[in-house]
Amino acid sequence: MSAVASPTDTTDNSSVPSFSDGAPADTAESDTVDSDTAVTTPGGSSPATPATPATPATPAGSDNVHPARPGRASWRRVSSLQVFSAVLVAALLLQRPLAEALDGTSVRIAATVFVAVCVQALPFLVLGVVLSGLIAAFVSPAALGRLLPRRAVFAVPAAGLAGAVLPGCECASVPVARRLIGQGLPDAAALTFLLAAPAINPVVLVATAVAFPGEPAMVAGRFGGSLATAVVMGWLWSRFGRPEWIAARVRQRVHPGSGGARWWVFLETARHDLVAAGGFLVLGGLSSAVLNVAVPASWLEGLAGHLLLGIVVMALLAVLLALCSEADAFVAASLGSLPLLPRLVFLVVGPAVDVKLFALQSGTFGRGFAARFAPTTLVVATVCGTVAGLLALGGAR
Amino acid sequence: MRRDTQNVLLVLLGGALIKISATDLYLRYVKPGNKWYLLTAGAVILLLAGVSLGRDAWLARSAPRRPAGPRRPAGPRRPAGPHGGGGPHAGRHGHREPHSPWLLMLPVLAIFLVAPPALGADSVQRASAGNSVTAAAGPSDGDFPPLPEGGAPELRLSDFVTRAVWDRSGSLAGRDVTLTGFVVHRGGAAELARLVITCCAADARPMVVRLTGAPDLPSGSWLRLRARLLPGSATAADGYTPSVQVLDAEPIPEPVEAYEY
Repeated sequence: MSAVASPTDTTDNSSVPSFSDGAPADTAESDTVDSDTAVTTPGGSSPATPATPATPATPAGSDNVHPARPGRASWRRVSSLQVFSAVLVAALLLQRPLAEALDGTSVRIAATVFVAVCVQALPFLVLGVVLSGLIAAFVSPAALGRLLPRRAVFAVPAAGLAGAVLPGCECASVPVARRLIGQGLPDAAALTFLLAAPAINPVVLVATAVAFPGEPAMVAGRFGGSLATAVVMGWLWSRFGRPEWIAARVRQRVHPGSGGARWWVFLETARHDLVAAGGFLVLGGLSSAVLNVAVPASWLEGLAGHLLLGIVVMALLAVLLALCSEADAFVAASLGSLPLLPRLVFLVVGPAVDVKLFALQSGTFGRGFAARFAPTTLVVATVCGTVAGLLALGGAR
Repeated sequence: MRRDTQNVLLVLLGGALIKISATDLYLRYVKPGNKWYLLTAGAVILLLAGVSLGRDAWLARSAPRRPAGPRRPAGPRRPAGPHGGGGPHAGRHGHREPHSPWLLMLPVLAIFLVAPPALGADSVQRASAGNSVTAAAGPSDGDFPPLPEGGAPELRLSDFVTRAVWDRSGSLAGRDVTLTGFVVHRGGAAELARLVITCCAADARPMVVRLTGAPDLPSGSWLRLRARLLPGSATAADGYTPSVQVLDAEPIPEPVEAYEY
């Protein structure tokens, strides 16, 4: 399964600024038979591309020998479709051993949780990429620019409130935020939207109210804490953020064309975003499943008397478990031995930053972005959640 | 990953979603309400991949390769591609496509080949003892509506636990109820358990009832039993776990809806 294991360490390929429609690209393109030249594109436009992939699809060297005539060598090269088929056949043959390998208790639980996370999140991801495609095809950058106030100080809170209209979990907002940046929305506003949308939409707030009946302060605290997190992160980005932290490919503007061509743009953008984000969603589901099994239940016992420790542990737990933002309120409600404040922090941190979101962000915006953005978000969300909780709940309880 | 490989993979992924939602398999992972989301998402994925495959095939046929030119069907394709003006990143044959899409094979293979079972006794055993119930689960004044009339009304395990813990009106006192769940052996005691999910199996929380006088069955076997609450149980001291006297027990196969919602 080396082909399946390789993607994680080749993500850098995609964060390399894409080349323009120059000669090298066209040379590579001329290979109709096999265009699996992703890694070995001639022309020196792939600075940070170590010959990493373990994928047999790209046998080292052979491409670079005859860069100008890929057609001649192509029959010898293994295409990714062939690798794909080989993996499928191998998996079919190994079905029984595979199933037996899953017999261990933890592995079996993790397998179920993994499939569950993927199955639950995929419809939301599809919603996100469809919206992304619609934005690319039908919303002109100029119209986007008119949506928000010109100055970042006001644009950021406006974008945060706009997040309330996208019902869905984190997976839907990442492709949408990416497309908003691509079509020219200011980074800070798009990132604020990214953080606000999964946290303060009506579905999530209603779920919170249902999970905590008789505690409307939890809903208020969640709304306030999450909106504050999104807005503070947006302001921080507009003050300290650098455009180059976001991978250059994100900024490639789509030109929607006109008439029927728009629909092709829509289809192709949605398809592309789905393929690009899907793998990282799977990665996030995988880590969430492993952590779900690995994090011992005893973490939560004995936290009852320690408010500060409780806040820190619950913030970390929100990151590790990567629950869907529509479900986390019920999990928080079931942790009856804890005071409300740490549980509110759990609800504020979860939709803003978790392992699944981190995987999606690093795949979409680049690893350099995620490595800076996610830890900062964790700190900001923990602080905002605590402050909002103290205000809404009227003290630590 | 090549563009056509991506599309084939998407076809499989969409097919996997439709397969599990058209059968009852999806109930192992998510709650029943997700069925239509899954069907729709699967159909959209199939549509995106199918249209893309068809269009690529049509373009390849309608614009045959030129003899020596490095420029190729890109001509007719370009105006329609999403990155027509300057972003060759996405649309056309996949240079610079990352390898991450390979990961999508994992759920596809997991669904088609293994289809992991619903969570069960193992998950309960790993959880901390006792029920995590909150006041949230019932009316705040502790007055629950009376149980339905009849010999032994059917109650969801989570409802039974909630009533046992919070009901001050005594609706369970002296009443037989019918409960369904699976057996868990923990710390020398036999328990009947169910997992409650809100969104997907990742957020499953156990609900347990301690059994007295239950038949000796291995962990994980499903039971439908008539039982009566033992007074004085389901307090903070026993982790809000009600104890019941089993009056009658009948082994059943695992139900299609293994979780409570």
